[in-house]
Formats: sequence, structure tokens, C-alpha cells
Amino acid sequence: MLNRRVMVTGLGAVSGLGLDVPAFWEALKAGRSAIKPFDLPIDNIKMSRIVTVPAYETNRYFSSEELTILDRFSQLAVIAAQEAVDDAGLVCGENILTDAAAIIGSGCGGKHTDEATYDQLYKQQRSRAHPLTIPKGMPSAAASMVSLHLGIKGPAFVLASACASGSHAIIQGMTMIQSGMIDVALVGASDAPFTYGLLKSWDALRVASADTCRPFCKDRSGLVLGEGAAMLVLESEEHAKQRGAHIYSEVIGCGMTSDAGHITRPDVFGITNAIKNALHHAEVNTDEVDYINAHGTATTANDIAETEAINQVFGAHAKDLAVSSTKSMHGHALGASSALELVAATLAIHHGIIPPTANFTEADEKCNLDYVPNIARQQPVNIALSNSFAFGGLNAVIALKKYT
Amino acid sequence: MMILDKVAEIIVETAGCKVEEVVPEAELSVLGVDSLKAITVLFELEEAFDIEIPNEVIPSIVTVNDILEKIAEIRQ
Repeated sequence: MLNRRVMVTGLGAVSGLGLDVPAFWEALKAGRSAIKPFDLPIDNIKMSRIVTVPAYETNRYFSSEELTILDRFSQLAVIAAQEAVDDAGLVCGENILTDAAAIIGSGCGGKHTDEATYDQLYKQQRSRAHPLTIPKGMPSAAASMVSLHLGIKGPAFVLASACASGSHAIIQGMTMIQSGMIDVALVGASDAPFTYGLLKSWDALRVASADTCRPFCKDRSGLVLGEGAAMLVLESEEHAKQRGAHIYSEVIGCGMTSDAGHITRPDVFGITNAIKNALHHAEVNTDEVDYINAHGTATTANDIAETEAINQVFGAHAKDLAVSSTKSMHGHALGASSALELVAATLAIHHGIIPPTANFTEADEKCNLDYVPNIARQQPVNIALSNSFAFGGLNAVIALKKYT
Repeated sequence: MMILDKVAEIIVETAGCKVEEVVPEAELSVLGVDSLKAITVLFELEEAFDIEIPNEVIPSIVTVNDILEKIAEIRQ
């Protein structure tokens, strides 16, 4: 069994903050939130705030033939994937990309396609379903379409763990590279949850803010749903160096746990162990960590549990850590959030700038950490963690390090 | 609208070929109708003509004319 070092050599991001990584990073640095009043042409929804990906010209990214089989979540995945491989200097048709893996997380899959068909069948009483419903809507469609679009012929699949889907996908790619199974993996996540049925279902959970997303604040009022996709090119150190690839950071470890507790309420014990496992796997001491990109949903349940877990794991060093939630800017894009947040953490290391927690007012009395309120901080980041704690108690933490 | 016109419209929309190519003797595969596009064409035909095209007749549909004949048969 090998234990190869794993590098991040390419980034792609589509979010409410823009259609690419430069737009994403500019907004994060400025502390600019994409949260806006609900403006989708869907009636009878209680949710009053939302984050949507800016309108884009589909023919800039896809052929008309591709478009017929692309659900929105696959479109976002392909746009981010193309940016990541371009950024890494990989070319469709060349062996490096042909042999790569494509491992993509998604919290909800091809819901636009499924719901359009269900609407026709159940509501409009039509007698037949559109024949492309299955290939467009299947949860694995994003991996298939990324593979098709980029000519990736290695292992490709979608995995689902709700809001941690991206982190689990990234960890899967990392371990496959570490073990020597593959040299290059395109990893990340995509989610496009703005359909009538899903929005009504989120309304029913009563966790959406009517104001904005203010993680860790006394007056926080819940999460704001978003959509988007983010992809990273991971590569073994040897492979990256051999081809002279630009290295953003190193993925040095991961921790994964399950709460085996409550279906929606986070568990401090499960979170604590996920963070501890990541530090152990990365062979890092608590006092070496500079920054945590928090799960930070701005729900009462998450923010207090996450803060408590960080205090438990880091002890006295917890006060010296910078902890921010970029969900305050790109919203909670479900599985895609965890991938967007790993891109944010990677860029924090790369640029030595910690993105803030936007919309910050006053900290909750049970939230006693340095949440980098509202203004980005120029500070060297050697080691960063990215936390993701999904509904259903599925926890994933990834450790990144500046590559030297 | 003639039946051929509607059939041609559906094939052009699905396969991206030129409308003048969709003549009765044209083979669907030559027009770019692969297996996935074929089920889309069948779906659109069923919707447009309010008919059911049974799976059994599909293997016998090779040309545009075969579609026209099947539609005529089914509508009788």
C-alpha cells in the first residue's frame, strides 16, 4: 500500500458569487454576500431569501446535443469541471485526463428533470413521461456528463451524503490517489435544488432564514439555500511535479464519522471525533491549525454544536484559530457547499487571506470563537480544515496544508 | 400541416439534421437518429399525433417513410 502525497492543482467554482473561481474569490475577499430576496418564478413558497447562480449562456458551455441530456445540476458540474481542468492545464483527449477519475457528490441529484416529469404525470395528467427523464435525472448523471464532456475514462461515480457530499467525494479521490490506484482525480460536488417540490420540502423543515445567513450570531435566524458546483483537480505529488503543475495546496488528511443519533440534530461527539480523526490522519497537532472553514449553517443546532466541538478539540488554541463560514456569502448549496468551501480554504492558503463570516452582527453567547467578522483577514495560513456535517449525522473534515 | 412536415420537424429538432434531408426514403440512422434520439422521436410523435406506438413495431422502422406508414396504420 502506497501513501502518496496529494496536491490540489486545479479549481473550478460556479456559485451565486459568479460563474468562475476569480469571481468567487473576489466576492469572498470583499465579504460580499450573494443572498437576495426570493425571486424565482415559483409561487406559494414561504422561503424569502435565496442564492442563485447568475444567468449564463448555455451555448457558451455546451453543444445543443449535450443540452438535451443535461439536468441543471449536471450543467453546473460540467461548467465547474471544465474550469478546474483548464486551470490545471489538462486537455481533453490527452492521457492524463483520459485516465483520471471523476468523483462527484450531490445532495439531491437531477431534481429539475424528475420534477418536471412528475408535474406532467401527476398534475397535468399526461399519460407519458419524457424518454430522457431517467438518463437526465439519475443521481449519477453529473459524473456521466462530466466524463462525457471531458473524455474522462477512469473511475467515475456520484456519491451522496447530503451536505457533506462534496467532502466525501474529495476524500474518496484523495484516498484513491494516496493508495496508488490513480494519479489524477477530478473531485467536487454539484447541486441545483430549486424546484417546487424541494423548496416546499425545505419550507416544511422551518430552518430557512427570513433575513439573511448570519452564522454564529446572536440574532441568526437560519440558513439560506443556494445552488452551485465546485470541482478540484487532485494529483499525486510526483505526477504534479513531473508535469510542472501549479500546486495550490496539499490535502494532508481527512476524518469521517457518523453520529448514529438523530436524523437532523448534529451531535458534538460525532463532530469532535471527525475533527480529531482528520488531525490524526494528517499527523498535525491542534496548535498547528490556523483556519477552519466551518460548516456554519446559521442554524441554532449547528452553530452551537460546532463551536463546542472546536473548543473541545483545540482547547486553549481554539481562541487563536480563525473560524469563518463562507455560507454567509455563497449560501447553503447542499452537497456543493462542502466543495465550494474546500475551494475557499484552498485559496485562503494560497493567497494568505482568510475569507470572513459575512452579515456578522454580535456573537451568540455560546459561540465564543474568532469568526473573522465581515472583513477578510490577511494572514498566512499554513494548515486549514474544512468542516462538513450533513443531515443524517454524516460528518467529514478535510485538512489542507500549504505546499512547500 | 402535412404529416411529413410534422415528422420532419420532430426529426430535425431531435437529431439536428436539415429539414430538406428528411425525405420519405431517408434512413433515420443516416439523419443522426441514434437509439436515444429514436425514443425521443417516438415520444414526440406520440404526443403530436395522440397515438401509442407499440414497442413491437420499432424494429421495422428504418426510414422516414416507415414512420409515416406506421402513423397511418395506427390512426386507422
